[in-house]
Amino acid sequence: MSWFKAIVEWFKSLFWKEEMELTLVGLQNSGKTTFVNVIASGQFSEDMIPTVGFNMRKVTKGNVTIKLWDIGGQPRFRSMWERYCRGVNCIVYMVDAADHEKLEAARNELHGLLEKPQLNGIPVLVLGNKNDLPDAFSVEELIVRLNLKAISNREVCCYSVSCKKQDNIDITLQWLIKHSKSSK
Amino acid sequence: MSKKDEDGDYNPYASIDKSAVVQEARQAFNETTINPRRCNLVLNKLLFLLYSGEPLGTTEATETFFAITKLFQCKNITIRRLVYLAIKELAKVANDVIIVTSSLTKDMTAKEDMYRPAAIRALCRITDSTMLQGIERYMKQAIVDRNPAVSSAALVSSLHLLGSNQDIIKRWVNEITEALNGKTLMAQYHALGLLYHIKQRDRLAVTKLVTSQTKGSLRSSLAYCNLIRYAVGSMQDDPALYNELLQFLDLCLRHKSELVVYEAARAICSLKNVTNKDIIPALSVMQLFLTAPKSIMRFAAVRTLSQVANRYPTAVAVTNIELENLIQDSNRSIATLAITTLLKTGREASVDRLMTQITPFMSEISDEFKIVVIDAIRTLCLKFPQKHIVVLDFLSAVFRDDGSFEYKKAIVDTITSIIHEIPAAREIALNHLAEFVEDCEHPALSARALHMLGRLAPQSSFPSRYVRIIYNRVVLESPIVRAAAVSSLAKFAVSPNSSNLAPMIIALLSRCLHDTDDEVRDRAAFYLRVLSSDEAHVKSFIMSDLPYSITALERSLVDYLKNPSATPFNLKTVPLQAPSAKPEFSKADIMAGVVPSSAAVAGSAAALAAAGGIAAVGGAAGINLSAAQQQDRNAARLAAHPELGQLGPLFRSSKPTPLTEAETEYVVSCTRHIFSRAVVFEYELTNTLNDQLLEDVKVQLDCPDGFIVRKVIPAKSLPYGKPAFSYVVVELPQDPKIVSGTFSNTLKFLVKDCDPNTGEPDDEQGYPDEYLVEDVELQVSDQVVPIEFPDFAAAWNALPQDSEVSDTFELASMKSLEEAVSTVIGFLGLFSCGRPQPNASKSAQALQLSGVFRGGDQVLVNAKLLFKGPGEGVAMQLTVRSSNLQTSEIIASAVG
Repeated sequence: MSWFKAIVEWFKSLFWKEEMELTLVGLQNSGKTTFVNVIASGQFSEDMIPTVGFNMRKVTKGNVTIKLWDIGGQPRFRSMWERYCRGVNCIVYMVDAADHEKLEAARNELHGLLEKPQLNGIPVLVLGNKNDLPDAFSVEELIVRLNLKAISNREVCCYSVSCKKQDNIDITLQWLIKHSKSSK
Repeated sequence: MSKKDEDGDYNPYASIDKSAVVQEARQAFNETTINPRRCNLVLNKLLFLLYSGEPLGTTEATETFFAITKLFQCKNITIRRLVYLAIKELAKVANDVIIVTSSLTKDMTAKEDMYRPAAIRALCRITDSTMLQGIERYMKQAIVDRNPAVSSAALVSSLHLLGSNQDIIKRWVNEITEALNGKTLMAQYHALGLLYHIKQRDRLAVTKLVTSQTKGSLRSSLAYCNLIRYAVGSMQDDPALYNELLQFLDLCLRHKSELVVYEAARAICSLKNVTNKDIIPALSVMQLFLTAPKSIMRFAAVRTLSQVANRYPTAVAVTNIELENLIQDSNRSIATLAITTLLKTGREASVDRLMTQITPFMSEISDEFKIVVIDAIRTLCLKFPQKHIVVLDFLSAVFRDDGSFEYKKAIVDTITSIIHEIPAAREIALNHLAEFVEDCEHPALSARALHMLGRLAPQSSFPSRYVRIIYNRVVLESPIVRAAAVSSLAKFAVSPNSSNLAPMIIALLSRCLHDTDDEVRDRAAFYLRVLSSDEAHVKSFIMSDLPYSITALERSLVDYLKNPSATPFNLKTVPLQAPSAKPEFSKADIMAGVVPSSAAVAGSAAALAAAGGIAAVGGAAGINLSAAQQQDRNAARLAAHPELGQLGPLFRSSKPTPLTEAETEYVVSCTRHIFSRAVVFEYELTNTLNDQLLEDVKVQLDCPDGFIVRKVIPAKSLPYGKPAFSYVVVELPQDPKIVSGTFSNTLKFLVKDCDPNTGEPDDEQGYPDEYLVEDVELQVSDQVVPIEFPDFAAAWNALPQDSEVSDTFELASMKSLEEAVSTVIGFLGLFSCGRPQPNASKSAQALQLSGVFRGGDQVLVNAKLLFKGPGEGVAMQLTVRSSNLQTSEIIASAVG
């Protein structure tokens, strides 16, 4: 009776299937591609190469299909972030919470990006990655240092996560799924 | 709709609009859920626009490009492949195209074979040299990939990248060699080509590649064909390899692929100095192909044969029976080539028949082939001069056909060479030429024909007839032709044979003074003025061209105007120009097949050769500058060295003489630049050792008595592969009779060892070293410019009798009269007036030579040569006249 089951599944998906599109940006070496790998397959790898350009991944979680645009973080790609953020359900901004020196650059890039009029109103999720490292900033510190309170015209959220230890990945996913198309 | 479908010309994209497509692309590709059908259609429209050359602005292209990158979310294979195509096209204009690097790298390493080759090609199009290192690893893997399409794509893309990334791609040689030795034929072909292009600049490496592969096991016939072409290049470069590689070519004649067999046969036929014995196997192969059922094989064979027939008519004659059969071939091109080949190889008796067979063809073939036919006819006519009437009738018949400039030019060239080579045909040919100017639609050709008529028609039996025809041109034609006609008319007035026409010519020229065109009026006024002059020598300006290099004359005049002086401008300070090799090509040249109008054919052969990488073979012709250009270049190069000092105007420069073998550590050649009181020895130095940097390179010159070294100018630095110049200025001896001698040279320099890759010297010190090169001779012929005097007898009588020097010589070692003539001309470096005409017994010959000696003295030589018999040599009586006795003595002593 498996064909019958398949048809039922198909009908179910017709009514319940949801799709969302999100763009993953942030400075180089903050863990964007690693994050994609972790939520797609649960695989963590120390040995990553810089993304030259972008990676496109589709991930299905429950009845939600997430389209992920993972854009390279090297300076020469930053001017192109905006092109891939237009019209998405949500922007995920990845920060290396343990790299204190680059935090200011991260703040400037974030605010510069959000000033673009085309991106008005798109919710932003800031992830402070690498919280397994000893001197990683906490969520509160990140909110202050990244001046997230100044962002007023949209929903902003900040989590402290670790892709390596898979810490807080689940609540991140829940937040994202909540912001998929149907719930908007 | 259905009606339109039936109509074959209907193009669904004919009416699409660029901005609409760009707009549609942006919408369709940015949708959250991609509709593959719609995107497919839009991509096709976009590609149609791009391929039909519709230009896209940078912003427009960039916007479209980024919209297309959104399609990477779609797994549809058709869409993805269209995306690759669009990326390749847009990469030329759009900004930031490197954004797709990662996506394409992923695709080229993916499992989907439909993606991989196309992704590689797109990736290489968006990659610059900074990004290439990042994908180097993947490229190396792709080159050795098991999938032939992937391997080929990587190899061909590498070839495209090679231009600006030599160093990186050189590191892939191991992988490329693996692909070359691999199993797939296509990859083998591409790998061989890529390897050749990587090593192209290094002759030794190319030779190594060729010799190793000729013994190797290439299985791709296309690769084999390329290898054959490379082998021919190596054979020409390195004579030591000639026999070994000729054996290889011979072996290829028995290859199982007819492509390879043909290529090898063609290669053997193209070799410059191939012997009759060596060419016969290749010709037998061609003979076999002539009867092949495939018309392409017949065409290829007959085309090659028609080219070889120029050089080896007797060897090609063995194929005559097959060629005769091909005249009936249904393919017109094959038939035409067969006939033209027969014209070159056939016997005199068959000429008439062939000419009748060819006439109906002429209207049916393209201009390119018509030129081939005309060339063949020219060769034929020079071979069998008695046939000139048939040939000229044929030519005058084809004159009247419509045809391109090149075609008509070939006809005029042919008539010109007939006029020069076959005196008996001169009158008839001039008649045809006169007819030709009556209805020629190409002004340049008319002007040429008029010039010829002006030179030769005055000596004909009815000069007045030509005057009428030429004057008609003045009335009817465009300014260029009118001007040429005026110049032509003036010549009739001064030619001894037609000088009775002078009053009439003057009347005609006076009428030209009312012409609407400046140039025509100027010329008419000039000639009238000259004709009214009483001085005989002034009139010689009408018959002959100025013996000066025009650019040099201009430069001298400009200099004179810049520094005005009380003395009048002295024409003797202007460098003379040797009459450039006659504009008409000598019989020998034509027989050898190096005629200008066959350039079309030769050109395509050169293009083929270049495609195969044998560019060097055909390339030599390209760098042959005319004598005048060379002279001007020399003068300019010397002028760039003010430290040489005030030497006065450059009189002439010799050709560079090599002082070393071509393959030595340091390659040196020497050019002698002659000034009125000094000689500048210019040494071109090349360092072929990549681990050495030479500094302060100079030549130590040991002079014969009387010569004094005045200055030595070293080349400051001589890095590997970059030629540099060093100079020695030598003052000529006070005694004017010492003009020649042998100079021995030693190269002295400071050696610094350096890093072969960067060229940076390892240490600062260096050590002195020297290098012995061959001696250089300063000869009388270096100091003489050959100049043509149109009227030798008049010039001879104008020179003072007391300057005459006469002597007899025994040229005991000469084996024939021809050899003696060319040796004497070589010794003296003078211009030979008139074609040497041996008399009937072919044992005696008179020579009239003319020129100008360093300092500006005219030199004329009358020589009589007598061949005494085999083993006894040639006796010569030499009489020299010049502006002064001394010069005559110098010239006479040059032979001794």
